[in-house]
Amino acid sequence: MMALASALGVTGAQAAEKPAALIIAQGGLGDQSYNDLANAGFKRGLEAAGLKGRTVESKDVVAQANDILRRASDAEFGLIVDLEYSHGTPMLEVAKDYPNTLYGILNQVRKAPNIVSVLFQEQEGSYLAGLLAASVTTDTSIKGINPEPIIGVIGGTKSAGIDKFIAGYIAGAKAANPNTQVLVAYSNNFADPALGQQMAKAMFESGADIVYHVAGGTGMGVIQAAKAAGRYAIGVDADQDGIAPGSVLTSMIKRTDVAVENVVKAYGRGEKIGGTTMAFGLKENGVGLSEMKYTKTLIPAAILAKVEAAKADIIEGRIKVWNVVEQGYPDYLK
Amino acid sequence: MIDNIIHSALIMTTPVLLAALGGLINRVGGLVNIGLGAMMLSGALVGFLVAADDGSWPLALAAAGLAGAVTALAMSLIVTRLGADEIIVGLGLNIVVAGLVRFFLKSHFHTSGTLGLPAVTMLPRYDLPGIADLPVLGAIFSGHDILTWMSWVLVPATVWFLARTRAGLRLRAAGAAPGPARALGLAPLAIRDISSVYAGFLSGLAGAYLAIGVVGIFNEGIVAGRGFIALAAFYFGRNRPVATAMGALLFGFFDAIQIRLQGRGVPAELVQMLPYAMVIVFLTLVAVAARRRAQKVDVHD
Repeated sequence: MMALASALGVTGAQAAEKPAALIIAQGGLGDQSYNDLANAGFKRGLEAAGLKGRTVESKDVVAQANDILRRASDAEFGLIVDLEYSHGTPMLEVAKDYPNTLYGILNQVRKAPNIVSVLFQEQEGSYLAGLLAASVTTDTSIKGINPEPIIGVIGGTKSAGIDKFIAGYIAGAKAANPNTQVLVAYSNNFADPALGQQMAKAMFESGADIVYHVAGGTGMGVIQAAKAAGRYAIGVDADQDGIAPGSVLTSMIKRTDVAVENVVKAYGRGEKIGGTTMAFGLKENGVGLSEMKYTKTLIPAAILAKVEAAKADIIEGRIKVWNVVEQGYPDYLK
Repeated sequence: MIDNIIHSALIMTTPVLLAALGGLINRVGGLVNIGLGAMMLSGALVGFLVAADDGSWPLALAAAGLAGAVTALAMSLIVTRLGADEIIVGLGLNIVVAGLVRFFLKSHFHTSGTLGLPAVTMLPRYDLPGIADLPVLGAIFSGHDILTWMSWVLVPATVWFLARTRAGLRLRAAGAAPGPARALGLAPLAIRDISSVYAGFLSGLAGAYLAIGVVGIFNEGIVAGRGFIALAAFYFGRNRPVATAMGALLFGFFDAIQIRLQGRGVPAELVQMLPYAMVIVFLTLVAVAARRRAQKVDVHD
């Protein structure tokens, strides 16, 4: 393989042979969301690259961070992709001692020559969600929609990582209709569905008919509230449309699988991705709206076309969506 | 607007009030129950499972209460019979039950965090004819479910029980002076266990209220610290049922307000402190008032 590569004159890139490892985050395999999704992409990447690989699970993912990373590094893996967010700092430390191993970390940037950081452009997908919501919210021909241009969003906590979604959502809403009023609230808790339910209910009472949640388990309450009130929720991270079919307008999906797959493939091709940050946005199919299996027929074709057009504009670079993490806070979200 | 706030406040109050009234009885009986949250969590899960697939809600409530009671009995026996520290056991119980619930979700349902099941029967809410349409009064009295009404009926019932019944007197004796109580032929440890089982039963109902009264799904974090807020409520009320209820209501009320203030441009960080900050403010006011009263009495003497 190497001989073939050099014979063909491929410079710099040397196909990798060492197996790859995927460290599973809290929640473990079988969580039907983050870990399982990432693992599916991992398997696809391995197959495409013709590599061997395995997953690493631990009972105590957070506390044993150093241990897990060192054991995996000693096991002669060439690539170690870590799904656990809290492993960012330990990874910096361990990566120093294993300069020939490539590490991958998600949703954060860790600067080291042998760490590849993976970021998602959640603001781009959220922009489309906001655009869709603001277009739908005044169309009273749709069941459960009132004429007021009011929509809502509930974040799990007030932080740049969450406000990245929210700012994109507001930008998309204002692009669809500058008069749209976006109610913003934070639950301060990612696992309290009762609170999420009450918060969404309060927004529905103030005239909102579509509420986007960026709040994990708290958001489950938002979806339940939408179902109970005959209004709409917008899901996040995974395709949550099926949780309450017909009550979830769409979901802003984060394709962790696409990201992991691409990292494994790039490693397989021998690309020098260490020290770089790979961004996955609409263009890379790393974020996007769900297929709207249960709601597509409710939404007028003109609105769906508008969303598709905006998607193309973002991909072509004609629209640049504000990124709170990189650019700080915009005027419309302080 | 005001009707919505009142209605929402009562919904947020119910689980805290139920657990607080249970914890109050438990404390009067001599055991400070730190494990209310664990009992709520087991009640929430069991109640939710029974209510799924078009289950019966009365059965779900009974099962939830039972689950909370069993959890409480386990905790109580370790404290009363093995002499373990109640604070440590209570804290441990919270961790153990959370771990068991997570394990159960993982092993049985292959899911983590959130469990959604089809056709969950929710607690029915009843509109009272004649009252439902009245402003304010309608929001206070009508459109609630059986647990909300029950929690408020329990407030005067608990006052009466503690002050006027033989069982209440024995409970107080067992808690305040276990030695003399035993000398009088009572079994203070058994009485303490019974008070724990009662606290567990009410906490189990409180958990079920969250799972099938409010949202209709289960999440491992569904209790969200409400066991500790209940603890704060009966400490706030110094074991008096009416004051405890006011503590729980205060919390529910400011929770409902903070939810609605957020959409109006008030900074989220400040607004979210409101329920907690108000509890501290009220505690201070109550303490100051009590001291004033005490001083006045001195002057007259």
